Order: sequence, then structure tokens, then C-alpha cells
Amino acid sequence: MQDQPVISVQDVGMTYRSRDGLENQVLQGCNFDVASGEFVSIVGQSGSGKTTLLKIISGLVKNTAGEVQVRGRDVNEALHDIAMVFQSPVLLPWRNNLDNVMLPMEFRKRATRQSREYGLELLDLVGLGDKAKKYSYELSGGMQQRVAICRALVSHPEILLMDEPFGALDAMTRDSMNIELQRIWQETKRSVLFVTHSIPEAVWLGDRVVVVGDRPGRIIADIKVDLPRLRTKEHRYSDDFARYVAQVESLIGVSGAIS
Amino acid sequence: MSQAMPVESTMRVGAASPEKSPEVAPQRRQGQSVPVGVVNAVKAVVGVVGVLALWELAVLLLRLPEYLMVGPLSAVQEFFARPEYFMENAFITVQEALAGFALGTALGVLCGAVLYYIPAMRHFLYPTLIAIDTIPKVALAPLFIVWFGFGFESKAFVAMAIAFFPLVINTFDGLSSVPNELKELARINRAGRWMQMTKIEFIYALPSIFSGAKISISLAVGGAVVGEFIAGSSGLGYVILLANSQVDLPSMFAAFMVLAAISLIFFFLISVLAQRLLPWRNYSK
Repeated sequence: MQDQPVISVQDVGMTYRSRDGLENQVLQGCNFDVASGEFVSIVGQSGSGKTTLLKIISGLVKNTAGEVQVRGRDVNEALHDIAMVFQSPVLLPWRNNLDNVMLPMEFRKRATRQSREYGLELLDLVGLGDKAKKYSYELSGGMQQRVAICRALVSHPEILLMDEPFGALDAMTRDSMNIELQRIWQETKRSVLFVTHSIPEAVWLGDRVVVVGDRPGRIIADIKVDLPRLRTKEHRYSDDFARYVAQVESLIGVSGAIS
Repeated sequence: MSQAMPVESTMRVGAASPEKSPEVAPQRRQGQSVPVGVVNAVKAVVGVVGVLALWELAVLLLRLPEYLMVGPLSAVQEFFARPEYFMENAFITVQEALAGFALGTALGVLCGAVLYYIPAMRHFLYPTLIAIDTIPKVALAPLFIVWFGFGFESKAFVAMAIAFFPLVINTFDGLSSVPNELKELARINRAGRWMQMTKIEFIYALPSIFSGAKISISLAVGGAVVGEFIAGSSGLGYVILLANSQVDLPSMFAAFMVLAAISLIFFFLISVLAQRLLPWRNYSK
């Protein structure tokens, strides 16, 4: 049982049919697994179908080919194990941070005192324990995204899906959020599927980097990143790191997207 | 205390504010010592008074006869000559407008929500609704009089017909502006439809609904007046028509001013309510 992957993506394809009958193949024959507690980055050009892939795994979008299993079950039965972090934090401005974190539990009708305490613990974990009663407009973009991560973790999901969560942040905030995320991941021991279009970010964070080529979106490489944990900022300047980045860059370049 | 200040002391706008000694923050800008709201209010009052003064001056200088144009002063005089006459009629207009506004708001929000949540309704009815909206609601007033008689109801319904549409559109737009991510969040967490509506969508739409209400309230007052034009024996619309037949311009202008005051007060009340209910609006985006 332990060896069973948490997420298993088999031959997944996605074809949209437009109203005038044209078929638009967004994804084709995608195969990969995510092991328990693993951090997998997905990189690719914008429009390569990364987000669609994530939405299929989350059960929000139904794939037209192949199969996605979560712990051996169909995604639609496993929704409770999944949480998602979006590019924009989308916090509700009329709720304070703790109440924003609690939103998924209210949706699930499981907002108990214990879950509220866990919400506070999570805010503590991301260094926002003293901001529980503050509102999102009182926080910086990075802090808001940390609240959104807490909101995703509050339901004890096994799998955290992250769709370019730091894409809207400035470079410096982004770097510190990467360090933060690694720490959160280590402490909460979730499986993470992390979509980004920043290659260094993908390499630095990931145990593996899944490279998605475009038109149609397909997996062109699945690279194991053999860098030590916990990774530090200094790892970004190591030769090994540079080699991984160069490898991924060349792969994405080969697929013809960089002009 | 104040005599300790140097003679050529700094100018202050909000004179009587009991605040800390100026040497604590010597470079403080004027705008910070007086609340922005007060400054804006003062500017607005200055603007209104200025325009009224120009108007009075123009009437005086152009020597316009009283059957053509009167200045604001004679309108004010007229009002105070028989205030109960204007207030009683204003009260009637206010009742009609409020009843129409309340009904129009309730129906408008309901209709906007139905259009948003039931795609079939949207496809079938939205174009029709837009088409109906192009009819000037004023043109419907005679019909309402046929249907509802010469009393209170027909005016309230004219007011309702006018107040209705901005709320349909704004409710629909407000609901449509809910970010996709929030809907996805709700779906991932298996939130029921009702949960999603009450915890996210309706609250999200509230600012937009309030904007619609601000537009509708003055429209509703106008609707009531039009109703009174056509079939009134009371109300400010009737006052205006009566004054018109007697070439009594001071009374007409007094009625205009009362109407403006009514709309302004309602607009103000809705704004205050919006600020109370939706404090986050002032901060987010």
C-alpha cells in the first residue's frame, strides 16, 4: 500500500470541441505519478495545458481521454483529499484572515472548534499568527498568498495542487515564498503538485520536474532533481542547480516554444 | 494657549479642532489635519452656493420677468411662505417613491439572480428584458393609470418600473463578477449551491447592488412625479403642474428644490448604509 502512488495520471488527454465543430487538443497522452509526500513541479510555456492538467487532477475539469486516480480511486470520489492554491489569493475581503482560512471547513460543514484551532495553528506556521483577526487588505501580496495556502491546508488534504501561486508576486517576495513553501511542505508532509513557468522555481522546489511541451500539451520529460533537502538560497548558485535549469530550458526550447 | 502662537501663524482649515501642538509635526500638510470627508463636503457646499449665487445674479442682471425665470431666493421665500403645503405634498411623493423603490429593488434583485442562476431564463429573457428596458418607463405611466387607478398605487408602480432595471442589471453584473477561483474553491470543497450563494456570491454582489440602488432611488422619485403629472391630485408633481397652470414659477422652483433635497437625502442614506454594511469596499481594490 505504501508504494501506491498518491496521484496516478495515465494517458490523460483533453480535447475541447468548439461550437463550429473544430477540435482543439490541449493535452495528449500524459503519464506520471506522484508519490506520497513528494513535491512535483510542472513547468511549461503559458498555454501548454499545465493548468488544464491541474484542473483535471482536481476534478474540476473532466478529461476526455485516459484516467486519473487518487489513491487508486477516481478523482471525483477523492475530492476531499485535494486542495488547491490559485495564482491569485482570492480572499474574501469581508472576512478576517482566520475566517478566510476556515471557509473550506464551512463549505464542508465541519467548522468545529478544533478545526478553528488548526486554522490558527496554520496561520502560526506561516508566520501570520498575530494577523488572524486582520483583513486581507491589511496584508501584502505575499502574506495574502500565505493565508490562501493555510486555507488550502485547513481541510487536511493529502494533496496540495498549486497553480502558479507565486506568479503574481515580485521576484524578492517570490524567493522568500519558495523558502517558506519548502518549510511548510516539510512540516505538513503533503504531496504537492506545483505548476509554474519559472524553471529555477520548479527546479529549486521540486523532487521532480515534469516538463510539459505544448501544442498539444504533452509530457516531454520527467526529471528527478537530486539536490539535498532542505535546500537553501545558496543552492541556486550551485553547478548542479544550473545544470538542471539548463536541461529543462533546452527541453522547452526544443519543443519550439521559445522563439 | 492660542495666544502663545506667533502672529503670522500657520493657516488652518478646520479651525476648532483640539489637536496636539503643531511642533510635533511641523510639516503636516493641511489635508491631514482635517478629515478628507469634511474637506470634500465643504467644497461641495461652496460649489452649490456658488452656482445658486450665479443663478440669482443672472436673473437679476438679465432682468428676466417672473413668468420666465426666477432666482433661487424667491423659490426659497415661496417655500417658507407655505412650508406645510410643500411638505405635505412632498410626503406623498416620498411615500410613492419609496414604495416603488422597495418593490423595484426586491423584484430587480430577484430577477437579476434568476437570470444569473438559471441559464435558460437568461437565454430566453435577457434580450426581452433589454428590449423592454428601451421603452421609456414614463411612457408606461398612462397604462398604469388604466390598470391601477388614479391613486397611490399607479404612481408607486411607475416608480417601481423605473427603479427595477438598474437593479436587475447590477445584481446580474455583481454576481457575474465573482472570480472563477472562488467558484472552483467552492466546488473542490463540495459546497452546496445555497452555501455558495450565501457565503460568497450574494455578498460579492452587494457593492454592485448598492450602486444600482443609488441610481434607482432618484429614478423612483422621478417616476412618482411623472405619475402625479398624469393623474395626480396631490404630491410634488401635482404642485408643479398646478403652479405651471398659474404661471407661478416661484412655487415650481420651490418644488424642484424639495425634489432635489429628497433625492439627495435618499442617495446619502443609501451611501451611508453601504459604508456601514460593506466596510471592506473602501479598502479592497
